[in-house]
Amino acid sequence: MRLIATLLFLLVPILGVWTFWIAPEHGWWFPKSVSSYGADIDRLFYIILWMVGITFVATEVILAWCIFRYGRKDPSKAAFTHGNHTLEMVWTAVPAVLLLFIAFSQMKVWADVKFGDSFPKDGRFTIDEPIGEVWASQFDWRVRYPDEDGNLEGADVIEKAFEFTVPLGEPVVFNLRSRDVLHSFFVPNFRLKQDAVPGMVIPVWFQADEPGEYDLICAELCGWGHYKMAGRVRVLPADEYDAWLAAEREALYANGTEELEEDE
Amino acid sequence: MRHPVRLAPALLLVAGVVTGCENPTPPGLTYSLNANIVENEESDLYNEDLAGDRTAQAQLAGALEMLFGSPTGPGYLLPEEWIDDEYNPSWGDAELTDDQWSELVEDNARALKWQLEGIAQGNFEAVVPPREAFDLQEAWYDYVADWQELRSEVELGEAEQSELDALASEITEEGTAMFEEWYPSLRESAEMYRQQCWHCHGADGGGNGSTADFLSPRPRDYRRGIFKFTALDNKARPRRDDLYRILEEGIYGSAMPSFKRFSKAQLNGLVDYVRLLAIRGETEILLSTEYDSEIGGFPIDVVMQTYLDVWAKWDVAWDEFISYDGEVPRIDEESIAHGRELFMDAKTANCFSCHGEDGRGGGVSAFEARALNDEIQAELDVIDAALVDAKKHAGGIAKDEKHKQQRHLALAKVERLEKRRFDLVNERVKDDWGNEIEPRDLTRGTFRFGRRPIDLFRRVYAGINGTPMPSHSSLKGPDGERLLTDEDLWDIVHYVRSLAVRELEHAPERGDEGAHGI
Amino acid sequence: MSSPTTRELPLGIDDPGTVHVTHEHHELGFIRKYIFSTDHKVIGIQFMFTGLLFLVLGGLMAMAIRWQLAWPWTEMPAVLGFLFPETGRVVSPEAYTMLFTMHGTIMIFFVIIPLLTGAYGNFLIPLQTGAPDMAFPKLNMLGYWFMVPAAFCAIAGFFTEGGAAAAGWTAYPPLSTIESAAPGSLSGQTWWLLALTFVGVSSMMGAVNYVTTIVKMRAPGMTLMRMPLSIWGLFIAALLQLFALPVLTAASIMQLLDRTLHTGFFTPTNLIVNNVGAETVGAAAGGQPLLWQHLFWFYSHPAVYIMVVPAMGFASDIIATHARKPIFGYKPMVYSMAGIAGLGFIVWGHHMFTSGMNPMVGMTFMVSTIMIALPSAVKVFNWLGTLWDSRIRFTTPMLFALGFVSMFIIGGLSGIWMASTPVDIYIHDTYIVVSHFHYVVFAGSVFAIFAAIYHWFPKMFGRVMNETLGKFHFVGTFIFTNCVFYMMHQIGIAGLMRRTADPYSYETYQHLQPLNEVISISAFLLFAWQAFFVVNFFHSLFFGKRVGRNPWNASSLEWDAPSPPGHGNFDKELTVYRGPYEYGSPEVEEDFLPQTRKLETKQTV
Repeated sequence: MRLIATLLFLLVPILGVWTFWIAPEHGWWFPKSVSSYGADIDRLFYIILWMVGITFVATEVILAWCIFRYGRKDPSKAAFTHGNHTLEMVWTAVPAVLLLFIAFSQMKVWADVKFGDSFPKDGRFTIDEPIGEVWASQFDWRVRYPDEDGNLEGADVIEKAFEFTVPLGEPVVFNLRSRDVLHSFFVPNFRLKQDAVPGMVIPVWFQADEPGEYDLICAELCGWGHYKMAGRVRVLPADEYDAWLAAEREALYANGTEELEEDE
Repeated sequence: MRHPVRLAPALLLVAGVVTGCENPTPPGLTYSLNANIVENEESDLYNEDLAGDRTAQAQLAGALEMLFGSPTGPGYLLPEEWIDDEYNPSWGDAELTDDQWSELVEDNARALKWQLEGIAQGNFEAVVPPREAFDLQEAWYDYVADWQELRSEVELGEAEQSELDALASEITEEGTAMFEEWYPSLRESAEMYRQQCWHCHGADGGGNGSTADFLSPRPRDYRRGIFKFTALDNKARPRRDDLYRILEEGIYGSAMPSFKRFSKAQLNGLVDYVRLLAIRGETEILLSTEYDSEIGGFPIDVVMQTYLDVWAKWDVAWDEFISYDGEVPRIDEESIAHGRELFMDAKTANCFSCHGEDGRGGGVSAFEARALNDEIQAELDVIDAALVDAKKHAGGIAKDEKHKQQRHLALAKVERLEKRRFDLVNERVKDDWGNEIEPRDLTRGTFRFGRRPIDLFRRVYAGINGTPMPSHSSLKGPDGERLLTDEDLWDIVHYVRSLAVRELEHAPERGDEGAHGI
Repeated sequence: MSSPTTRELPLGIDDPGTVHVTHEHHELGFIRKYIFSTDHKVIGIQFMFTGLLFLVLGGLMAMAIRWQLAWPWTEMPAVLGFLFPETGRVVSPEAYTMLFTMHGTIMIFFVIIPLLTGAYGNFLIPLQTGAPDMAFPKLNMLGYWFMVPAAFCAIAGFFTEGGAAAAGWTAYPPLSTIESAAPGSLSGQTWWLLALTFVGVSSMMGAVNYVTTIVKMRAPGMTLMRMPLSIWGLFIAALLQLFALPVLTAASIMQLLDRTLHTGFFTPTNLIVNNVGAETVGAAAGGQPLLWQHLFWFYSHPAVYIMVVPAMGFASDIIATHARKPIFGYKPMVYSMAGIAGLGFIVWGHHMFTSGMNPMVGMTFMVSTIMIALPSAVKVFNWLGTLWDSRIRFTTPMLFALGFVSMFIIGGLSGIWMASTPVDIYIHDTYIVVSHFHYVVFAGSVFAIFAAIYHWFPKMFGRVMNETLGKFHFVGTFIFTNCVFYMMHQIGIAGLMRRTADPYSYETYQHLQPLNEVISISAFLLFAWQAFFVVNFFHSLFFGKRVGRNPWNASSLEWDAPSPPGHGNFDKELTVYRGPYEYGSPEVEEDFLPQTRKLETKQTV
């Protein structure tokens, strides 16, 4: 039993590290980061991963070794000790320092992403003039772009279902709102997640640095159709974005004949 | 029990086999007969003769299966003249224009980019076709199996490497084409329908899935062939584009989400399948009305004629398409004011009577109807009690003249009461599916068919199928001229759009920290 | 007392066949003795059976969830499929939300907490502190019988229109407060809240009892610092319950009011839910959904420690006993448990980093949360210190206790990611969180519960469980547990969200299906593997080898009582002379020195 137990407990760190090692090549890993702060978040993740990983391997290997070494049949008595004050001090102080280091190293990125003060101020979109509003409801994403006067309430606002089109390479600020229950705006590629709370207007910002289409996922249970809220974020180069928005404003006043032409 | 060590593995084996190791299969769905025809006595479709005749029901089910197959093998029956014309209604791709088709191929390349990348890299074993694409899976896995076989032969020295290379390049080429030009068959779309739509809309499109009871509004019952939101006039059957648009945009303010995440091919396939369900349901309803208990059963020529009649309805003519020749008028104060005038005018548009003077939906007629409902219910209760009483008198065998007289009177009363009851039930404000409905609150800003002016225009112009919302273009004045011109309709549209400025005005101001509460 | 230990005896079990018939103070009928009993041991055993029964139920739900995640919308095998007859043995989306809601609720409130504090709290506290019974035996009985309405309410939800609660075990409003928001919110949610309230009352009665008994009824000489760590764990958990439960009870009553009287504590103004407007929703009261989250987590985060601190105590006891070595750093162990509990009250906000809570507040919660890793680390180091230069006996309880340590390391370490606010933006509510709390609660607490069952089974029933079967049980459980939960880390890093009925409709997640299949098959095997335990448990209950008072040669107090202990527990006067972990003491010839044994030296004046 001693050898079986040793093997079992030794397999934990070995396979544990191995699965983390092979995960990226199988795609069981972060989707590509395409936002300005995505890399920072990933970096913090990796810092913690290394610290945690080393501790994990060290403790698990010591555990397995203890099982191997002290599991032998041995008629003598165990060491009769009730502890060691110095040792206790060391293994309290060292982790404390490490943990405080982890804690303080997180703060800047958190402030950059979420604090109202650190929202971008120079770009086209600011906390006072957002690109638009994202409305979540059961089980729907509606993105509302302002009309030409920057008005988010008029009759001429643009509403798009399940698709959030944003310009590339500039900070995008939008207001996140909910019509009914809690939802959450989650774009894995942006490393961005923010709950939408009914009764609250929550400004959110990100900057996408690569054009493309990314999954927009609802990350807070919102009812039976939670999994159906699969939206997309489309990142277009700034000029294409402007052209797209202009075309949408044009299309708002379509008279239906274009559909006829299409089919004939 | 003396040997637990031996017993436990046996138990484990049983438990393991039963819990874990069964091959996952889709449930065996079947189409069932429309419950409104054969079970639901309240429904306007209820057919008493058919309800009492099990044989006829089986025949009807058989006829429908002949025409439309089953959920695991759906497809249309092809009459000879269609075969002569090389017309196959199963395939939506036949109806797509070249532009649409090339768009579809392009979109497949986007949606299936991982698979296509895998093929391009020669990593065939890692390529997994979409979940519901049975035919694609079959074809693709055949290729892969061939390739694997040849590869092992090469390893054993029984075949040349060059053969393997040739096969690989063939697979790369044909596989890429196969994925890019993938258009789901009806069977594949039926599986996709089962995964995405079935739990609300039900196996046969009856809007009676497991979730349906908890949704407001209820999921659509396709089987009447009536779809609320089309761009067509005169209650024409929807075009593919109308159905596609609903799939793509969802219906805001209902539980119908957008399915934009799927490829265009998948959505077109779903449209094909929804059309099949709708046509099947409509054929079923028409056949049931033509059922004659004296003949019994359904003669083949009746079945075929009905089938073709329904198809004729679905062959949508473009002249029903509503568009506006000319530029859509922009919103301005004047048109809003005029629109408001018409909105409030009982003699012309008469919108306020349902939608309310403030547009919030609580119109007078809606209230009246609601108040009426209570009265009707009270009266219905009285009638029901009387009916039971009368039926009791009518039952049994008449012994003498006096009894005969009494029985005759009771039967007459039953008939009278039942007619009155039928009238009363139909007096409620219900849509064609039998759901009680309320006029839309126009101030919420959620327009289910879309909020573009042309979308609202189409609603005002043609009404909403299956609901009391009338067509305003067909209102005629005393001399037969249109009561409301297109310009008037635009003004109403503008007024309605001005009502829908913004829902939920009570959002709190955000704090200094950014937006967040405590 | 049994004869001194000899190494030749297998597993350190002492002479078989020593049965102790204890004198009954007064004869009671069957019902008073075994059903409406005020005896803490019977109540403990009742809690144990209830908990294990619900473990099977919650496990079945987990299996259905795993089936759906591996092969969404496919027909289930008969064992699971019978749960969903109406949909052709396929999970429907609303049933899926119900499943994970009730899985979480049942596992937390009806399995882990009752098993740890209910079963072993009741059984061990008087025995290990040397008390004849609990301080308030009738209250104790009432505490168990409040589980009955609780269980009834929890089950009743399934049979109402719309089914059981479906707003997650966290029951976030407005999904949970507005009836039109979800089928499970029709009346299932009300049943759920009632169940929660009853469980709360039950736990509260237990907690009052535990604290009073531990403070007032210890045997002479049993100072606080001579108590076994199990008792410390249970004591701290009871204090946590005393302070945190009123908040949850108040919150659930507020939610109940929101649902029934439409008070609107948690419901904001002007919602339109499922096409039902504010005037009909009836809760246009300007409430705040975040308020519930604060109140809920103010209880439920300490509840996590209620679920793990006693487990740490059990593991410490079992490791010391079977490693034949005193616990390394007894006082640091006690202080770290207290530290975990104390910090546990100021970390609840880490569940709400992305909730829209003020991000400033998030920062302070981050620091306190990260610091909670410190006492946990100290505990792990002390367990390793205990094992160092010990004499390990590979009994089943020892294997499970070692498994607990190994798994707790994983669960504890992955928590640091969640504590770190920026990383949490990404991993919040992903499978990495699922993995984390299952490592703590399943691989941690449930392993400790298994260890406790194997360890104290002889004391409970006078018979020992079969060691061969026990070892089989451990090996399979250990392997499959890791197969199930370890790869969830990677799935979570890939961004997979929990509570998603059909994740593969997102492009981002499609490639995770094969991995989920592996996890699901492992989960089925893990579930099936528990057959070893079931067979072993019931077989040993009736046919297990009879043992004497102290089969493990342990030195803590409960082993001085007969097995099973009679009414009043101890058949002699007790005086405690030392701490509970005097293994390998040079003072005596044997490798253990019971707490009650008076040494004939002149040191004890």
